[in-house]
Amino acid sequence: VLELAKGFRGKKVHRIARDRVAKALEHSYRDRRRKKRDFHKLWITRIGAAARLHGLGYSEFMHGLNRQKVELNRQLLANMAILDPDSFKSLADSVSSLPPLKVSLLMPFFLFF
Amino acid sequence: QKLRAGLIPQVTEGRRWLLIDAKKEVLGRLASKLAIVLMGKDKPTYSPNKDEGDICVVINAKHITYTGGWKLKNKVYYWHTGYIGHLKQIKLNHMIERDPTLPLRKAVFRMMPRNRLHRRRMLKLRVFADERHPFDDKPLVPWTMPPRNIRKPRIYVPRSIKLARRKLAEREAAAAAAAAESEGDGGTAQEGVDRPQ
Repeated sequence: VLELAKGFRGKKVHRIARDRVAKALEHSYRDRRRKKRDFHKLWITRIGAAARLHGLGYSEFMHGLNRQKVELNRQLLANMAILDPDSFKSLADSVSSLPPLKVSLLMPFFLFF
Repeated sequence: QKLRAGLIPQVTEGRRWLLIDAKKEVLGRLASKLAIVLMGKDKPTYSPNKDEGDICVVINAKHITYTGGWKLKNKVYYWHTGYIGHLKQIKLNHMIERDPTLPLRKAVFRMMPRNRLHRRRMLKLRVFADERHPFDDKPLVPWTMPPRNIRKPRIYVPRSIKLARRKLAEREAAAAAAAAESEGDGGTAQEGVDRPQ
């Protein structure tokens, strides 16, 4: 346990370290799951910011990509936005040049009943 | 995600100096966009642990518009000094007299996340009441708010008035059609009457 307690602030006595190490292990278990969420959030924020630089919003951009059956994941897209802005720009252009979807107004009325 | 060292992309320009003219901008709407810019969230290189937002120099703060007829006289800012019973308050008009930059600064302060970067980010916001600012030697880039959809107000028109208007329109259309027939045209265009939605 004392080895696991490396880097802890002052809690290097076995009795205390036991509890702190248990807590730290709990945190790491939980945060391994959280890390995936956090990065997902970060990528979405970055993609949104990059899309706004091209006049689109995150939602429009992803919708356009889905319509074109482009299945790049957000990690890739976020990195692309930073490191390869030209290909990101071409993706954004392909989205903005899509024709708008025609929404039929009659259908929802029938679906409600 | 980590940027690989050595590959310096063009989007990370570092911090820019932005000049924002607050004349006729609505307080809250301007403040929310300022908070986004100060946090750096409009850049694709945003990281929540880094303080990479742009430096915003806001001028003409005393010409900010406060919408709503009640705000200037009745909007109250509260704060508590920590001593028992000392809940202080000040109204917006008095606050503007004391320091016209305060409403905007408080608004932006409260729109940003309260973390360790909070105060550092606020230091990047410099608000001036007038046009003058001491940053003439810096490369200031003017920045405008993104365009805004101002909704048209929905005016409620009673049904009777709508019916009357429609009847008038029908009569005029009939009169126009009659006038066209009397001139001797071949076909008259039939105008269908649309129900107003």
